Amino acid sequence: MQRLDFSDARHLVARTALGQEWDAVNAVKGRSRKDAVNIILKNTPNKTPPLPPMTSWNSIMTMTNHSSKGKRDARMQMGRESVRLKQWWMNHLLTTKAPVHEHMTLFWHNHFTSSFDKVQQPKIMYLQNQLLRDNALGNFAVMLRKIARDPAMLIYLDGSLNKKGKPNENFARELLELFTLGRGNYSEQDIKAAAIAFTGWGADREKGVFVYNAKENEGKRVRFLNQWVQNGDQVLDVLLKTPRTAEHIAEKFWHEFVSYHAPPAGVIRRWGNLFRSSNYQISTLLKEVLNSDQFWAKQHRASLIKSPIDLLVGTLRSLPYGRPVVTELVRTSQLLGQDLFDPPNVKGWPGGKQWIDTQTLLVRNSLLNRLTRTTKTSARIEQRLPKTNGETVVEWLLPRSPALDLPTVPGKLRLVKALVVDPAYQLK
Amino acid sequence: MNRREFFQYASLTPLISSMPSVFAGDSAKVSQISQKLQRPGRIVLMVELKGGNDGLNTLVPFEDELYHNLRPRIAIKNAIHLKGDMGINPYLKSLLDLWEDGDMAWIQGVGYPNANRSHFHSSDIWESGNAKGKVSEGWITKVLAGQKEQPLNGIVLGDNSLGPMAGEQGRSVAMLNSDEFLRQTKYLNKKDFATGNDALGHMLSIQNQVNLAADLIQEKLKGAKPSPIRFPSSTFGRRLQQVDKMITNGMHLPVYKVTLDGFDTHANQRDIHNNLMNHLSQGLAAFTKSMKHHKLWDNVLIMTYSEFGRRVQENGSAGTDHGSGSVNLVLGGAIKGGLYGKAPSLKPEHLVNGDLAHTTDFREIYATVAQRWWRKPNPWQNRHKPVLFV
Repeated sequence: MQRLDFSDARHLVARTALGQEWDAVNAVKGRSRKDAVNIILKNTPNKTPPLPPMTSWNSIMTMTNHSSKGKRDARMQMGRESVRLKQWWMNHLLTTKAPVHEHMTLFWHNHFTSSFDKVQQPKIMYLQNQLLRDNALGNFAVMLRKIARDPAMLIYLDGSLNKKGKPNENFARELLELFTLGRGNYSEQDIKAAAIAFTGWGADREKGVFVYNAKENEGKRVRFLNQWVQNGDQVLDVLLKTPRTAEHIAEKFWHEFVSYHAPPAGVIRRWGNLFRSSNYQISTLLKEVLNSDQFWAKQHRASLIKSPIDLLVGTLRSLPYGRPVVTELVRTSQLLGQDLFDPPNVKGWPGGKQWIDTQTLLVRNSLLNRLTRTTKTSARIEQRLPKTNGETVVEWLLPRSPALDLPTVPGKLRLVKALVVDPAYQLK
Repeated sequence: MNRREFFQYASLTPLISSMPSVFAGDSAKVSQISQKLQRPGRIVLMVELKGGNDGLNTLVPFEDELYHNLRPRIAIKNAIHLKGDMGINPYLKSLLDLWEDGDMAWIQGVGYPNANRSHFHSSDIWESGNAKGKVSEGWITKVLAGQKEQPLNGIVLGDNSLGPMAGEQGRSVAMLNSDEFLRQTKYLNKKDFATGNDALGHMLSIQNQVNLAADLIQEKLKGAKPSPIRFPSSTFGRRLQQVDKMITNGMHLPVYKVTLDGFDTHANQRDIHNNLMNHLSQGLAAFTKSMKHHKLWDNVLIMTYSEFGRRVQENGSAGTDHGSGSVNLVLGGAIKGGLYGKAPSLKPEHLVNGDLAHTTDFREIYATVAQRWWRKPNPWQNRHKPVLFV
């Protein structure tokens, strides 16, 4: 049985957790692939920190009713609370004991996207975030049904405005294009039909719950993907029975864990079938991906570009550098192009090569230079680095050989800095 | 591994670069390029109206009864008359002088066959010039591809999306603003490195473009005088001000791009859209004024684009859903103003699934920019002929 060497162990951890913490890498080193994957996916409590205070929706509404100044104040109040919630998530990403689980929460945030920018109300954005966390390694079918009833989603994609005689196609379109089938697997008529089936689905912003208003439902059968459906749940039934849905998720896993290049059709068919026949167990799909030869193939090592959260949170979790305050970390993540709770649009962050463009390359670079610069505490940081040799440090921090020359003057901290600012450090 | 072994390991790391440097750190080359850019060339300013601009409430068929019937809550009632049945949104008023001077052209009914209504896919189509949207290379990248002596094609101000300048051969740089850009490039690696890895190759190419752009900005904008023209303090206004600063200080690159976001008006469209029209016109009016002041107005062509137009009939939320067929606005001192293309009919029998049928293929506009503005070969030679606004 093939056992993971140190570099294999780093590969598995760096692609599934948040960074490559020394202990996490050593915990899977020397194990078989199967054991290592099971260790990585072992159920660990993922308790979030206490929430910042959030004004109730009724109070916000009371504020806005009085004047245009009231409206502005309310908007600013929600804006401030949104920033605090971003800090809350950033803080959790940095400290959680379940980095693989939280990585998956972030993955689903980028699949079932919503943003403060549109939703505005922090409370329901938090509820969606917790929904994604609760189901991150659970069941996709369950999560999809919950998302279709999620207040933030109903606001984000205008589902709550989709009413009898006045269909709004926004949710229906993205449900098909982005959440389930993927583009090219449905017609414009299917979108119109799905929108009609979902009429009457809405949200109570104060209570943060789904409400169904039967009076606003079109109440008629529509033809959707060649089948008759009566309501939104039946639309979801049809989508979950269509093989493309599972394949679409399998493709997303491929891009998240294996490569940003297109996957082989055969692999996606196999993973999709397995996922669908497991009744959409996310951990079943993830185990399949992480045990696959493709995941371990030499050609796919060091082929992914770290996301901003990988880079920022991963570096701070893995190396003992001084942590900037969380307000600064949130600002930095925005400049790096991954503003938590505010993806650029409903398609989410495109990732892959697009993480690095002329703007974000500069931000990445100055962040790493800033984190690694010599300060009064450098001696203490040096002491807290793993006690090991230079070759292992290189293998631990880089997924391939360095692109630039390493320092010729000895020094542990100097070596680590050179590795962190090396272009190869941007890869995983 | 002991220390000596480690140093042996370290010395094995790549020293020789396999990739040619794209002028990185070559100061003689930079000043040569810089001198060349001093000659005013023909510049295009692309203005992306992101989210899907409602063409019917921009260039308004205000004499058409059907328009008012289909849009009882959001029809523009006080359009400013231009010609025939068409008028412009009243919030575009500050651009009206340009119409009178013959410096404003509208191309009507612009679209492509089997219009796609996905924001992302349709943006890809518009920005690549490929109706299947499967090409990642931008249409401007394609048009300027032959121009080997031009080391930098363009700059995007304000966001990351290179859009029409995307692609490995795009030679374009995106930045939030030039000061921040220069501060950050100080710490960027200037050395070349061997790649043999797709992602690293991408990083090296970005690195070299950034270093070149930084050298140019450093040289051109050092000690630049503030513009006498006041720009709106909006995000859009500030972005245009940045472009203005670069152009008026002699950075005559072929293309600049800015974005005005927020056009996805599914609900309560009227105020939102009017406000956007106001931002657009105030910003472009200031930019135009500055170009005239600096005697560059004849060297600049401003062109708007958006991923799609919107449904003819308003929806139940006093907004509009994704549609097709829209208008492009072109401004410039050297263009031939007027209305081009045919305004699409609003008659039910002429609509395609409730959407406008396009009358002008969007690539005809690109062909115009390529052939008649830049005097480059038209990549769509046999299929799409230029529109004669230039």
